[in-house]
Amino acid sequence: MLQLVVGQLLNGVIIGTLYGIIALGVTLTFGITGIVNFALGAFMAIGAYVGWYLTDGLGIAYPAAIPLAVCATALMGLLADQTLFRFTRNNLINGLIVSIGLISVIESVLLMLWTTTPKNMHYVLPGVIDFGWFIVPRMKGVVFLVLLAVILATYAALTRTWTGRAAYAYAQAPEAALLMGVRTRLLETGVVVYSTALAGLGGALYASLYSLEVSLGSSYILKGVEAAILAGIGSVMGSLMGGILLGVTEAVGSIFFPQAYRDAYGLVFLVLVLLFRPAGLFGARR
Amino acid sequence: MFFEIEGLTKRFGGLTAVADVSFAIAQGEIVGVFGPNGSGKTTLLNLIAGIYAPSEGRLVFKDRKLAGAKPHELAALGIVKTFQNPQLFAELSVAEHVLIAAHLKLKRALGAGRIATLFNRHLHEHSLSAEVERVLALCRLREIRDERAASLSYGNEKMLGVAMALMCEPELLLLDEPATGLGEDEIKNLDEVLRALRAHGTTLCIIDHKVGFLSTLADRAIAMHHGSKIAEGPPAEVLENPDVVAAYLGRGHA
Amino acid sequence: MKPAMKVVLAWLPLFLVPLVLHNEVVLTILVFTFILGILAVSFNLIFGYTGQLSMFHAAAFGIAAYATHLSMAHLGVSFWIGMALAVLVVSALSLVVGTICFRFKLKEFYFAIVTLAFSEMARLVILNWGSFTNGSLGINLNSKPTLWLPGGSIPVEGTRMWYYLSLTALIATVAVVTRVVHSWMGRAFAAIRINDELADTLGIDVFRYKLVSFAIGNAGAAVAGALYAFYLSYIEPGYLSIEQSLAIVAMALLGGRDWVVGPIVGALILTALPHVIELSAEARILVYGLILIVTILALPRGIAGVFARRRRVL
Repeated sequence: MLQLVVGQLLNGVIIGTLYGIIALGVTLTFGITGIVNFALGAFMAIGAYVGWYLTDGLGIAYPAAIPLAVCATALMGLLADQTLFRFTRNNLINGLIVSIGLISVIESVLLMLWTTTPKNMHYVLPGVIDFGWFIVPRMKGVVFLVLLAVILATYAALTRTWTGRAAYAYAQAPEAALLMGVRTRLLETGVVVYSTALAGLGGALYASLYSLEVSLGSSYILKGVEAAILAGIGSVMGSLMGGILLGVTEAVGSIFFPQAYRDAYGLVFLVLVLLFRPAGLFGARR
Repeated sequence: MFFEIEGLTKRFGGLTAVADVSFAIAQGEIVGVFGPNGSGKTTLLNLIAGIYAPSEGRLVFKDRKLAGAKPHELAALGIVKTFQNPQLFAELSVAEHVLIAAHLKLKRALGAGRIATLFNRHLHEHSLSAEVERVLALCRLREIRDERAASLSYGNEKMLGVAMALMCEPELLLLDEPATGLGEDEIKNLDEVLRALRAHGTTLCIIDHKVGFLSTLADRAIAMHHGSKIAEGPPAEVLENPDVVAAYLGRGHA
Repeated sequence: MKPAMKVVLAWLPLFLVPLVLHNEVVLTILVFTFILGILAVSFNLIFGYTGQLSMFHAAAFGIAAYATHLSMAHLGVSFWIGMALAVLVVSALSLVVGTICFRFKLKEFYFAIVTLAFSEMARLVILNWGSFTNGSLGINLNSKPTLWLPGGSIPVEGTRMWYYLSLTALIATVAVVTRVVHSWMGRAFAAIRINDELADTLGIDVFRYKLVSFAIGNAGAAVAGALYAFYLSYIEPGYLSIEQSLAIVAMALLGGRDWVVGPIVGALILTALPHVIELSAEARILVYGLILIVTILALPRGIAGVFARRRRVL
């Protein structure tokens, strides 16, 4: 029994980092541009498909395919920002509808390129890590470590570099930041592109673990938004915590309650948090 | 007692904005609350208007304790406040603002029966529009009745705030710095409107730091400094009080 | 009375359409437009007029569909009683969900998320309560609503009958919503939408009126759900999906959220689209997305905004 719980917990933690990387994108985008980019799930799908195609289709080594997939996604993100999101800054409703429209556009293009047939990447890193009690597939472990590293690096960049601190300043007081010489337009675009890159990374890593279909991102963006809100929009490390918390809640809930309602456990938790701590578990900036 | 506060205190974390303030207001009076910026006047008014809940102390209105009542409940009881920075419905016209403010009036007139007006608009609506015109005229807003609130001058915005408050038929009207930012003519206008109100039976509690405006209008003055009441009495007296002078101008001038 | 005549004249042509047009496809599109129009117009009461972005509307739609069928199947009542029961069930649920959301003063975005959460929970319950709902397989409906006429009762079947039934229901919905919107209640809703803090100080019980608009809106969704289910003769958990909720929002925005009838235009566009564009399934999805994007960026007041001269009355 304990083995089951621990195993599920670990699974929850690993999935949680995937939620976390999307949550990070959500929270950064909301903090700096004032909208929730629902299309991040679709960008995750882009990263996944491009990663799969480069690896299995063109035979590029997986470790090289990942950064390429990330770049491709980021490029799409830049395009989306310059043609669309640029016009919806701080307009929540418009941003919402535009990102939903974008999901349809991205998914339809992916469908046209690669059809509805599920895609499966070959086993890049087979085998497991044996901890005695429980085992973790090697690839999952790698995914976990990579995502963790990226989130931590983002946190460090935001708190230690000038650009990062400028971003924080901007999120809190836009006019003041502008007056202090922060290139706000660049910052806004940069954040949108970076969030899509994060989503792309999540997707590229996802491709090594699961079967791909075009709408793979839809549940992840939802979970990502949930995790971001749970933690409190604006908190970087909170996104990671929120993601893991959500993943663990779902996993543990599934042990004691019907597995079918998995998604609901996180939702119930989220509603409770929002009702009693509207600023999220880790406090708010906005 | 018409209205009374006792030991009213409000703390925001480590900051005590209002400290142990007590005073009473008699029906039909005009009470002016003076004080420099930061003296706690606005917080005091917000406490009375139900926007903040007091940390300590009590408020009693017509023998009824007001414990954590919300703004709309207080409005229903007869206590209405205007905003220092005018709160408006930007896209709507002046007349529409006053019409919306008639919500309470309609409720009082028809009670639960106002559901009936959903099926027959003309029930009572025509007398409402007469009322709206009356209030607009009283506040000298008739000429601009169809202008959008977003394009009003500052003085007219403030007057609109007063007009909306009036439509709620308040017994106790709280005015938060009504004269601030107004020009000479507008202040004169405001003064006339407020006197007409008092003549009509409305009790007023006004805070402002424009000493001249309040001293001519108010029957009684209360001076505040650093959250506490430091003087109370007829305006002329209060203004000569050395503590009050010191608060406004600094120690050396006492 | 002049205004009433104008309204009758505006709707009259629609009653004549089935008499002159015999194209089944067009008539079917119109039936769906009318029913989805009820859905979108009732949503707009909550969203366009009271300013609350509710993601619970599809849940109300779907729950009513299931509730109508289940009460007919297990309680043996007629369609109309079944629909009435469904409206009651949905109203009760809306009061619960609404009370939770508005008591805790959830604003804008968070309100959307929490209503979304409740909607998803409802969908999961329906998806997994196989014994009652047949889960993801859905239920094929064999019964039909019946109309009682002097001669006897006849089942409502065939496009023409459904056309008149749904058009009547739509007109009734529009009439009710218009009445509400132009009354003191509508003024309270508008005040809450534009500046709820100010509304509060003017004596408007913000909690109560948000709840009322939420309940009325969801009741409309329930009517639409019952009608839709029995017209399509098939219900499945997808009725409560997020995609459905988003489609409803899109209808309101595309058509124009400033007018009572605006969302009907949106419903027409989204319903007619797949038929107008003769393309592959993928291309249709692409076009849907593009239309959404272009409309929201270029026509912020929706399509109705292009034609309406003055801004809508309070």
